[in-house]
Amino acid sequence: MMARLKAPRSVFVEFPLGRQCGKPDEPELQTKILKDALQVLTTATTPGEIVELPYRWHESFDWATYLRDTEQMLNEEGSEKQEWKPKG
Amino acid sequence: MSRIEYVGCLDRQYQSQGFPPYKWSQFDSSPWTPFKKPLNESSIALISSAGIFRDDQEPFDPWAVNDLSFREIPVDTPFERLKLRHNYFDHRDALKDLNCVFPVHRLKELEKSGFIGRLVPKAVTLGMGRLYKRTALQNETVPKIVGVLKEQGADAALLVAA
Repeated sequence: MMARLKAPRSVFVEFPLGRQCGKPDEPELQTKILKDALQVLTTATTPGEIVELPYRWHESFDWATYLRDTEQMLNEEGSEKQEWKPKG
Repeated sequence: MSRIEYVGCLDRQYQSQGFPPYKWSQFDSSPWTPFKKPLNESSIALISSAGIFRDDQEPFDPWAVNDLSFREIPVDTPFERLKLRHNYFDHRDALKDLNCVFPVHRLKELEKSGFIGRLVPKAVTLGMGRLYKRTALQNETVPKIVGVLKEQGADAALLVAA
């Protein structure tokens, strides 16, 4: 998605959605990510460049994890599921 | 671990339910303004699309469709006064520590330590969700957001996409 949008300067952290700036209550990691991201303002030279940061999530995750976790979240919170239906 | 290819996965998911293909935005080029100021003299603005709003503001709809609105959040707002309504990602870690998607505490620390010159006083937040009105977003919402950033003297914006 970032490659399609081509923001002038982008930074990619391979963490699950909702934790882009780091893990909860880990201020040191959060600070490292932010410093790395902000530095790109001064170091980037190519418009649309995506800088990948080296931080790794503690467990593997994939699309199925995303679906499972968002469903679990809705169940825990007693939230209604989105019931979209295609038109027609 | 292979990287999640969100666009492909979302396409397969929704098209298998009978939705027409989503027209993902794709740009051929990237705008560029050289960044000349040293970081430690720069004013940085924070933009988040995690559906965050203050308790006295209009809530975001967690299943937003075509929500082109945004909120201005003073960066000193205590987290107890901030709400997050966005169901397109697992927000449970963000609810434990909003800095995961709205890193104002860390940015304030970076301001204090002199890493950045200053964090501008108001952050901008959006809900986003499913958006089809991209032209309206670009032509109506974005200029207003740019106005909010410019009136605060922002030199750059950090956009944390939810």
